[in-house]
Amino acid sequence: MKKVILAVLFALFILPFGYLVLLSVASSWRFPEVFPSQNLSLIHWASLSRTGVDWLSSLATSALVAGVVGCLSTTAGFLSSHVLSIHSSRKLWITLAYFPYAFSPVIYAYCLSFMFNVLDLTGTLGGVLIAQFILTYPFAVLFFFNHFDQQLREMEALARTLGSSTTVVFWKILLPISKHTLLICFFQVFLISWFDYGLTSVIGLGQVKTLSIMVYQYIGEANIHVAAIAACLLSFPPLVLLWFNHQFVFKKV
Amino acid sequence: MFLAVKNMFKSYQGESVLCGVSLELEVNQTLAILGKSGCGKTTLLKAIAGLTPAAGQIYVQGQDINLLKPQQRSAVYLYQEPLLFPHYSVFENIAFGLRLRKLAPPEIDRRTAQMLEDLELAEHPHKMPHELSGGQKQRVAFGRALIVQPMLLLLDEPFASLDPETRSNMQALFKRLTAEHGITSLFVTHDLKEALKMGDRLGYMERGKLDLFPDYAAFAADVRTGMSAEIEFWKKL
Repeated sequence: MKKVILAVLFALFILPFGYLVLLSVASSWRFPEVFPSQNLSLIHWASLSRTGVDWLSSLATSALVAGVVGCLSTTAGFLSSHVLSIHSSRKLWITLAYFPYAFSPVIYAYCLSFMFNVLDLTGTLGGVLIAQFILTYPFAVLFFFNHFDQQLREMEALARTLGSSTTVVFWKILLPISKHTLLICFFQVFLISWFDYGLTSVIGLGQVKTLSIMVYQYIGEANIHVAAIAACLLSFPPLVLLWFNHQFVFKKV
Repeated sequence: MFLAVKNMFKSYQGESVLCGVSLELEVNQTLAILGKSGCGKTTLLKAIAGLTPAAGQIYVQGQDINLLKPQQRSAVYLYQEPLLFPHYSVFENIAFGLRLRKLAPPEIDRRTAQMLEDLELAEHPHKMPHELSGGQKQRVAFGRALIVQPMLLLLDEPFASLDPETRSNMQALFKRLTAEHGITSLFVTHDLKEALKMGDRLGYMERGKLDLFPDYAAFAADVRTGMSAEIEFWKKL
């Protein structure tokens, strides 16, 4: 029974990805047909090679943005949470960290867009990076806040009485103890950034073409098969990250 | 006088936690401080270790250390929990302080191996903290503190979470090792029997004030310590 339930859950998880792949290789698939009516072909994938530069460039842009935002937010969130864990006004700061999540990302993006216009950052890669950092940094702060519990703080204090400087405590104690939590946070921030559409479209003005922007663009053009290819490309790296996390992080936690 | 604490004051949000605490302690002695929870004994130890700022003077061998950073005071603070570094083996946990002092690797190996012998942990150098029992963890924590030969050892109810038998063994081990290594220490507890076993000198702390007793008789005579009530209890049996 347990195996059946697991198989059903696995199928439910796989189904959307399977559907995407099928849609990307179907040349004709009309409602209410359950499967594509004509032979499957790689014709849409082959068209990738003709416009390969755009795709590769979008893939690289998405990877760059998500990687940089992941690194910056994880590092800044880790350090900020560490400071906040012993700060006298930590409750106030933590409440403020929830602020960006009171709105949808698109509304938040419109709130930010005025400032970005003034700073001449709209439509630039730097602007998208900063906007996504503003969104994901509070997430990382909240993520790490409970990590710095009393036991970890006492361990730090003990290490200091044993003769460790603040730098040594950070590199020899805090960082090794926190490495799995850091990886998980990076992974989550990476995904938030990788799949972000609202902020990137409003701040990037369509000039910063990440994969998620491409997917929505093709959906808007009713080019459903190419949109499926873009969605496949969008889904593949997170699946690799998920596998990596499963193999090397969660098993060791 | 090896350790002299003079007029320590500390308050949290307007409430006094240390009210002019003063104490003196000779070298190689252990001062056991008895007191109920919230009386200020942990704050006193943390102030001496430099982990919480407090007004007053702390002299070790005549030098005022109250403005020094915790890592410069040579005063190791031991918590109730062993707090072993989970990413280091038993050997590396004990050797931690020696590596900070950049001793030569053969010297680190020799001294750590000797400490493992003293702690009766010679067979477990490669074990990770999660593979140890509560008593073993506490022994490693002791070894990690003693191996750096601190001028002061500050113990904040270090055996409170152990079962009675392990606790008794740890008390004996503590007495033996502090004597062998010539350690001066402050031992805080809320357990009367433990205070009597551990302390060369005895003190009682209440509402931020510390009273030191010249001898056991004076300690027993003070009703707050509960010693006279304890004696009466056993006499009636």
